Amino acid sequence: MSGSTTSSAATNTGSPARGTVFRETMLGTLRLDDEDRTRRVRLDLTVSSDGRLHLLGTTESRATGRIRIAGWADDAHAEGELEISPLARRRIRYRITFTADGRRITLDGWKSVTPRRPVASMTVLPYTLQEDGVRIGTGTLRFPLGTQLLPFLASFRFPRQVDPDAFLAPRWRGEPGRTEVWYTTVTDPVTGSGLWLHHELTAPSDGSEPYAQGWAAVFPKNGPVRHARFGPAKWTPEGSGFTADGVVVRPGRLSGAAEGGALRWDLTERPTDEPLFTFPRWSWRRPLLPAAQMLPAARAGYDGTFTHDDTTLTLTAAPGASARIYGHGNARRWAWLHADLGGGDVLEIVAAVSMRPGLRRLPPLAFLRLRRQGRTWPRRPERSAAGWAGAGRFRAGIALPTWTVTGRAGLRRIRVEVTQPADRTLALDYTDPDGQHATCHNSERADAHVLLERWWFGGWRTEAEWTLEGTAHAEVGTR
Amino acid sequence: MTLTGLTSALIADDGTADWPRHVPARLETLLATMPLAARAGLRAAARAVDAYAMARTGRTLSALTAPERDSVLGELAARPALLPLLDVLKVPVLLAAGTERMLQDGPAPRGLTRQDPPLDLTPAPAWPARSTADAVVIGSGAGGAIAARTLARAGLDIVVLEEGQHHSTESFGRRTPLDRFTDLYRDGGATVAVGNPPLLLPTGRAVGGTTVVNSGTCYRTPGHVLTRWSKDFGFAPADGFDRHLDEAERTLRVATQPVDVLGNNGRIALKGARELGWRAAPLRRNAPGCQGSCQCVVGCPTGAKQSVQLSVLPEACAAGARIVTGARVERILVDTDRPGGPRAAGVRVRRGEGGGFEILAPLVVVAAGALQSPPLLRRSGLGRHPRLGRNLSVHPATSLAGRFAEPVTAWEGVLQSVGVEEHHAQGVLIEATATPPGMGSFILPGLGTELRRELETADRLATLGAMIADRPSGRVLGRDRTLIRYDLDPRDAGRLLRAVRAMGELLFAAGAEEVLTGIPRTPRVRSLTELDAALAGTSARHLHLSAYHPTGTVAAGADPHRFPADPWGRLRGVHGVLLADASVLPSCPQVNPQLGIMAAALAITETAVRA
Repeated sequence: MSGSTTSSAATNTGSPARGTVFRETMLGTLRLDDEDRTRRVRLDLTVSSDGRLHLLGTTESRATGRIRIAGWADDAHAEGELEISPLARRRIRYRITFTADGRRITLDGWKSVTPRRPVASMTVLPYTLQEDGVRIGTGTLRFPLGTQLLPFLASFRFPRQVDPDAFLAPRWRGEPGRTEVWYTTVTDPVTGSGLWLHHELTAPSDGSEPYAQGWAAVFPKNGPVRHARFGPAKWTPEGSGFTADGVVVRPGRLSGAAEGGALRWDLTERPTDEPLFTFPRWSWRRPLLPAAQMLPAARAGYDGTFTHDDTTLTLTAAPGASARIYGHGNARRWAWLHADLGGGDVLEIVAAVSMRPGLRRLPPLAFLRLRRQGRTWPRRPERSAAGWAGAGRFRAGIALPTWTVTGRAGLRRIRVEVTQPADRTLALDYTDPDGQHATCHNSERADAHVLLERWWFGGWRTEAEWTLEGTAHAEVGTR
Repeated sequence: MTLTGLTSALIADDGTADWPRHVPARLETLLATMPLAARAGLRAAARAVDAYAMARTGRTLSALTAPERDSVLGELAARPALLPLLDVLKVPVLLAAGTERMLQDGPAPRGLTRQDPPLDLTPAPAWPARSTADAVVIGSGAGGAIAARTLARAGLDIVVLEEGQHHSTESFGRRTPLDRFTDLYRDGGATVAVGNPPLLLPTGRAVGGTTVVNSGTCYRTPGHVLTRWSKDFGFAPADGFDRHLDEAERTLRVATQPVDVLGNNGRIALKGARELGWRAAPLRRNAPGCQGSCQCVVGCPTGAKQSVQLSVLPEACAAGARIVTGARVERILVDTDRPGGPRAAGVRVRRGEGGGFEILAPLVVVAAGALQSPPLLRRSGLGRHPRLGRNLSVHPATSLAGRFAEPVTAWEGVLQSVGVEEHHAQGVLIEATATPPGMGSFILPGLGTELRRELETADRLATLGAMIADRPSGRVLGRDRTLIRYDLDPRDAGRLLRAVRAMGELLFAAGAEEVLTGIPRTPRVRSLTELDAALAGTSARHLHLSAYHPTGTVAAGADPHRFPADPWGRLRGVHGVLLADASVLPSCPQVNPQLGIMAAALAITETAVRA
């Protein structure tokens, strides 16, 4: 992989709209038409909408959650929709479908908002239960203000709405002296092999024709690393990804061949996580840093085939990730790690020293992103790279075969140790737009040890520890 | 009790008969159903009469003897200005007295002509707080019923909301006419149009709407009216109206009333017309098998009259429609932020206890009648059109009674039996109409002993009614309560006087000894000359006027500035609101309008289904 590069290109991705997510719990009763008693009901919903809540207008939202009806139903996979329109239509409508006794039941009801009784009308939800459109019961749910108001308000989140495919579109708009990269690394869990697909567009600084090139490499568990180059080829701008010399990167698909078909691949890609910005998000939208790297999806699953020489790997839900880089060229020194920690957790590190005069004297800036249980730590990428004006920044020791990153933010500290054994490492030559060369040492079968600790009343306690043997994806670049 | 004295005085309770003693209690139950203003007014008047008696004699009316009470009333009646006021006081008293008298020696109850067909009825308290439907129909009268049937037959899930209750034919046979009267009419029958002169405008409130209490007369909308609706107003359903009128007639089983049960009242009208050479015939009615109970206006006790709850609504329910009773629609819910403009989303309904309920439906059919639809639209925020509530047409009507030598017993036979169309071209339609005692618009003359004598000899009276085609000179005001304003047009006042003259002529031609004019100053005339003289000094204000058939308050037509609804009955300014009742008719239909309303509702809803 190429390391940090510099860029001032304009962004082509607009500001992503934010969605809304909140949780709501309601309690109440139900009376089935064929019974003469009431049952207690509890409804826990997570409501999400693609846009912000328009209090003056109408917001259509999805709802998922759990419904419990005493002695009759407990469905943790209730789902449905909400029509939130407290002022325009004076109605907050719930349509939730769930399973009870093997029957598909729909709860249909709405709060009818009136300024005369604002609290009661916003908290009381009369509803009807229907099966196949026929009424089978009625009831009322209430939002218990005393116990649920604070959790309800605290549950509001406004996540960005992103389309991972949009990040694949080329950023380059014809400026000289730019490098743009699409790369994908995969681990085949069956054979233990690592894969690396690198696609790069280089626009030389002297204004000569841009060219596209790249390579594919396979890191078999038992055997030497094999790689093959494709290109350089003429760059033809293409809307949704990378296309050159028969090699294609499109949303959801990677295909191509190198060295006259010695290496061939045809993979489908399925994003399974949100985007992950290793560098600050603003630096991807407005390329003010020398370069920026990001992952359209922090984790992805790969299916398809990868053939090298006479061996064909058949991937089924193989874990990996694709990443994007856009900037002015390669860094002076860099280290990169992508570690799938399992259980949905992922660690991404880029530590780099810039080529810019002055900046090149600084120690490596370590951008560390640990996504654990759906949340990313440190909360801001700047925290690990710059600290508080340098103080408290994360430290990187870039060396081979082992390099480290350590740091502390808030009440947590982390130590990452990456080992790239020489026999599992591929050394390749990178060319910057200005014609300078760098050497990268890449391994898709690296080892890593990650120790996460948390401070707790006078001491550090281990919060989590991961050891990856041959499944970490790492690279060190030198000059 | 204040009312006891007044009642005893008015009907001269001299203790010789039993029934007058029960009249005050009957009057109290009647008053309980009337609006507050009517109640308060009547009680104030009764207190005023009592105060007058106290001032003159030192005792209240109830403490006086019968001759003393007569003399007090006589003094009051000597003041001409008080006569109209006393007439108003007489109306509820006569209603109560007529009922009590009939209970004593009235006609025996008759058997059912046929069983009521089944309806899918749910009382409002049993309806769920939240539900959905494909369409909601507000009102179950002539328009609402046919709209519900059309939509239900098109496969839509229909809920009909009715403010009144359901009354079975069997329940009609079980109860006295007055009990039914107070249940079946809005405001206890005391709906009044404020104006000069004020008009009594009774409307029904029950499953079936006013068709439960109308006379069953089914006139087809005249051709010249349809031409005007189509050419002058651009009212689209008027084209092809005949087909829809045919369907309405078929549904209601309309036929000319056979003469066997017509009754003496109708025969007298036919005889008079024959003598004069006027066009007259038994009316076309929707009452196959009518037994001449003469109780149409309080619900047919034999089930012969095919009100819509016996004819159209059962067919709607068979097609899947459901009726909610006791459900007054508070407002139509409107989604203001829909793309393309505001759109109806359903209705909120009030029920007596336990709050209300809401039904979401993309189509709301308003069929609450010409007097209730405009306030409903206003309180739903849909009343912004400047002509909404205006253009109110009614059929102002008056009546005349003729005294005959032989007993007529008008209450045995068909209530509205014969139509005299001789003057229809001049906007006057005479219909021989007899009612159960006290319920007609005709008020017997006299006070005290004189009134009692009239009551005792009421079996010798034949009554005729005439309604006139009016100019739309009324408007419906109000949001939560309807307030009707109606000022009689001078042209229509002339028509009313001509109608009185024509009715007098008819009665004398039929052999009447004297004619009771209803004019306070000259209550009796014995010849046409005397009638002419009486009319010469009278204006329409002095007549006892009532009005029927309110129409046109949310009229449909081509001009968006004149008509709140478009030519196909869709309310302008909002999507999904359809008008399908008398309010949508662009002008006075000039005949009893049930068939016209049904045909218009049929055309409007059929078009909506096709769209």
